[in-house]
Amino acid sequence: MLKNKDNKAFAYLYDHYSAALNTIILQIVMDAELANDVLQEVFVNIWRKIDQYDTTRGRLFTWMLNIARNSAIDTLRSKGYQNSRKNQSIPDNVDTIQASDVSLPGVDTIGLRKVLEKLKDEQRVLIELAYFKGYTHEEIAEMEKIPLGTVKTRIRNALIQLRGYLN
Amino acid sequence: MNIQEYISSGIVESYVLGLADEAERAEFEQMCALHPEVRAARETFEIQLEQHVMAGAVAPSANLRETILGQVFTEQHVQTNGHSTRASQPAKIFALPSAMRYVAAAAIILLAGSAVLNIYYFNRYREYSRRYDQLLAQQTELVKSNNVMQTKLNSYQNTIAGLTDTGMSVIKMMGKAAPSSPAPASMAMVYWDTRSKDVYLMANNLPMPAAGKQYQLWAIVDNKPVDAGMIDMDKAHVMVKMKNIPRAQLFAITLEQAGGSPTPQGPMYVMGKV
Repeated sequence: MLKNKDNKAFAYLYDHYSAALNTIILQIVMDAELANDVLQEVFVNIWRKIDQYDTTRGRLFTWMLNIARNSAIDTLRSKGYQNSRKNQSIPDNVDTIQASDVSLPGVDTIGLRKVLEKLKDEQRVLIELAYFKGYTHEEIAEMEKIPLGTVKTRIRNALIQLRGYLN
Repeated sequence: MNIQEYISSGIVESYVLGLADEAERAEFEQMCALHPEVRAARETFEIQLEQHVMAGAVAPSANLRETILGQVFTEQHVQTNGHSTRASQPAKIFALPSAMRYVAAAAIILLAGSAVLNIYYFNRYREYSRRYDQLLAQQTELVKSNNVMQTKLNSYQNTIAGLTDTGMSVIKMMGKAAPSSPAPASMAMVYWDTRSKDVYLMANNLPMPAAGKQYQLWAIVDNKPVDAGMIDMDKAHVMVKMKNIPRAQLFAITLEQAGGSPTPQGPMYVMGKV
C-alpha cells in the first residue's frame, strides 16, 4: 500500500510513527523548532525513498528510525544550521523557546537516552558520540585518544548492555 | 565463530542502530540470509527497540501534521503529473507501464518497416532514374534525326520547287562535253534563276572525290572562269544554292584542292552551254 504511495496509508504512517521519530530527532538536535524542520524533511524522504525500502534488511520502523537519525545528525552538523542559529531574530524565537521549555526537559528521561543513563560513564560517552552525534569509530578513537579496537569493543559491549535495559 | 557467539557479539544491535560499518553490514546481511536464527535475533531486537522508542514518545505539534502531509501529497501530485525533475527513483525508469512498452515495441517495428520501405523505394527510384535517362537519350536522338529529316525534306521540297519553277533555266553539264574528262559518264545540272540570277546545282552523277579534293563549279564569262561555289557531295542529289552569277556562256566543274582554287587547276569533269 505504501509503495503504491497511497495517501491514506501515508497519513496512517505519520499518525503512528511521527511521535517516535520526533523523539529521536529531538534527542539529537535538542531544539524543538529545528526538530520540526527535520521531521518534515524525514517524512518527505520516507515518501520519496519508500521504493528503496527492502524488507529483507529489517523492519519498516528500523528503516525510518535510521532515516530520522541520519537527517538529524546531518542537520546538527550542517553549517546552514549553525548560521541560522546566529541569525535568529528575537520575535521568531518566542514560540520556540516556549516549545523547547515544554518538550526538551523530558527528552532525557525517555527512549534511548533514558537507558543511556544506566551505562558507565566511559560507555555512555562513546554511545553519545557514536549514536547521537554520528561520529565514526575512527573519529571517536582520535577524539578520545583510545585505540580503534578498544572503541569498537566498548561500543559493542555498551550496546549489549543497552539491549538488556530495553526490557 | 558459531552462530550464537556471532549473535551475541553486539553486531545485531550495531547493525539495527546504524552503527555498523560497510563491511560489517554486508557480512550481517549475508548471515541473515544464511541463518534464520540471525534474522530472528535481529527482528527480536528491532521489535524491542521499536516498543521502547514508541513508549513515551513526544508527539510533534499538531499543526505540523497538515504541513507535512500537505507537502508530501503536493509532491505526489506533481510527480504523478510528470513534472518532477527529481532523480531519486531510478527503479521507476525501468518500470515502464505496459501500454508504453507496446507503444515502444510498435514504434520500433514501424521504424524497421520504414527502413525496409526506404530501401525498396530507393531501389525503385534508382531504376526509374536510369530509365528516365535512357528515355531522355532516345528522345534527344529522335529530335536529332527528326531535324536531319526536316532538313532533308526541306531541301527536297526546294529541289522540287526549283525543278517545277518555270522561271528556272536548266543547263545540263555532261562528261562527254568536257574535253578529256576523267569520267565521261558524269553529269550535273545547273538551275539558273532567270530573275534573281541565283545558281543552283544538282550533282546527278559525279565520282566521289579523293580525300583532300573537292569539286568546284565555274561560270565561264567571256572565256574567263568565274568561281561559282564549292560542291558538297553530301548533298549530291538535291538542288544546292551556289553563287549569284549575273552573266555566263558556259558552266563547268573541275576537281580542285579542298576549299577551292582562284582559277581552275585540276581536270574538268563536266561542261554545259547556257
